[in-house]
Amino acid sequence: MKKLAIGLYAALTVALMVWGFYQAIYVAPDEQTMHEVQRIFYYHVPSAMVAFLFFAISLAGSIGYLACRRNRAEWAQISDAWALAGAEVGVVFCTVVLITGPIWGRRAWGIWWTWDARLTTTLVLWLIYVSYLLLRRFAAGPQVQTLAAVLGIFGALDVPIVYMSNRWWRTQHPAPVFGGGEDSGIKDPAMLHAFAWNVIAWLAWGILILTLRYRVERQHQKFAAQEAQDALEA
Amino acid sequence: MDERALLDHQFTVAAYVVTWAIQLGYLAWLGLKWRTQKRNAAHSGSNPR
Repeated sequence: MKKLAIGLYAALTVALMVWGFYQAIYVAPDEQTMHEVQRIFYYHVPSAMVAFLFFAISLAGSIGYLACRRNRAEWAQISDAWALAGAEVGVVFCTVVLITGPIWGRRAWGIWWTWDARLTTTLVLWLIYVSYLLLRRFAAGPQVQTLAAVLGIFGALDVPIVYMSNRWWRTQHPAPVFGGGEDSGIKDPAMLHAFAWNVIAWLAWGILILTLRYRVERQHQKFAAQEAQDALEA
Repeated sequence: MDERALLDHQFTVAAYVVTWAIQLGYLAWLGLKWRTQKRNAAHSGSNPR
């Protein structure tokens, strides 16, 4: 039953991805100034939104781990698995943002990169979470999960700074899509529909791989605990 | 298709291809990790599920 539900969800996700692609490439009209290259927007912005959401999940998991680590070991391990899964899948989406953005920028601005506030804070966010993953991968000892949780909390502090950066400072980056005043937002309904479908599709895809990553980590935790138990009994 | 439109098209295709390469590459890595763990668990004679 569980396998059937996962299979159905995966099939629905694939259908949404195909539909989102169709909307972005064939249905949405060309933007007047940037023309076809603006279609990168339908992958770039939803990827950023999903990355922010998953870093928030990592933050919640990190706080949960620190809150439960002394008295509720099982809850602490579950929280830690969510923190790791959120950080890792968030880095995957943030990588997409940092690669598709410059591809777009090269055509729209004539440059691959500029050290403006939005781009720089996003790069810093990516670096913080990559360092989080490197810490989890290469450090050893009983304090690793605690150190990672603290780093995860500090890393998440950069998310609102990235979000607000093109409101607080003058940047090369385009104006906010939502919540940026009267001039912000997508005016064309066909563009708005294509954008909304791609947000839904990428969110569905993200949840699928986030859940898979969580399950892999839980399996790893249980296997490590079993090995430790076997070593004690030997 | 003029040169500008052709370049726009190539950049758009590049962005979409890179996105899918990253996402599917990560999914494949996750699948391999999952399979290795399952194999290790079976090999050690315990089922961690």
